[in-house]
Amino acid sequence: MSWIDTPSVQALSEYLDLAAYRQTLIASNLANIDTPGYRTRDIDFAKEMRQAEDRISSDPLAPRAIAVAGLMERPDGNNVDMDRESLLLAQTQLQFRLGVELLRQEFQTISTAIKEGS
Amino acid sequence: MNLLGVMEISGSALTAERERAEVLASNLANAQVTRTGSGSPYQRQMVMFGTRKASEGTFAGLLSGFSDRYAQGVEVKRVVADVTPPVQRYEPGHPDADSQGYVAYPAINPLEEVVNLMGAARSYELNVAAVQATKNMISQSLEILR
Repeated sequence: MSWIDTPSVQALSEYLDLAAYRQTLIASNLANIDTPGYRTRDIDFAKEMRQAEDRISSDPLAPRAIAVAGLMERPDGNNVDMDRESLLLAQTQLQFRLGVELLRQEFQTISTAIKEGS
Repeated sequence: MNLLGVMEISGSALTAERERAEVLASNLANAQVTRTGSGSPYQRQMVMFGTRKASEGTFAGLLSGFSDRYAQGVEVKRVVADVTPPVQRYEPGHPDADSQGYVAYPAINPLEEVVNLMGAARSYELNVAAVQATKNMISQSLEILR
C-alpha cells in the first residue's frame, strides 16, 4: 500500500470490479432469456464485498456466481426473470456510477494535497 | 472482469434474436407455399438456442482471455424443420393437387409466428438496453481519469 493506493481506493476498486462482474452476469442472463434450460446466475454482493475486505490484497478477486433460487421456471427449464434482470441492470449501473464518483473524489483529494503543498 | 466482454455477450444475443426473427419472418412469408425446390410444401423452421462461452471467437475474448464459465453468450445452435405433417385442403383445380384433389399446405399458424416474432423483438430490445447500460458504465469509468 502506498500513499496513493489508500484503503478506500482499494475498497472502491473492488467495489467497481464486483459491480462490473455483476453486470457480466446480468448481460449473460439477459442474453440467454430464450435459451432452454438456462439458469439465472448472480453474486451475493454484500457477502463478496465483505470477503474482498478480509482477504489479503495480493489475492485475486474471485467472486462466486451462484444459481439464484426461488425464481419461477418456465416449461423449457429456463428461469430468467425479465423484470428482475432489468431492475438489477439499473441498480448495478447506479452502483458503478457511485463507485466511480467516490473514486474520483478520492483522487481529487490526493491531487489537492499535492497542489497545495507547492 | 472486462466490460468490453459484456458487450460481446449482449451482442451475441442481438445476433441470435435477429436470426430468430428472420426465420420467423420466413415462416410467415412462406405460409401458403405448396411447392418448394424439392417439390414438397414449405416446412416450418424453428431455431434452437444454446449458450456459448463468452470468449469463443470474439475480439474481447482474444484480447483479455475473458473466460468466466458463467459469462455466457447465446447462439443459434441449429435451425430445425417442424415435422408436423402438412395440412390437406380440398382444392381440385389447384396445379399442386393430388389425384384426390387435395393440396398439401404448410402446417403454419400465422398467429403463433407473430407471437414468437414479438417475443424475439422484446428480447432484442432488452439486450439493446443491456448494451446501453454497459456503454454508460464504460464511459463513466473513463471519467476517473478526468
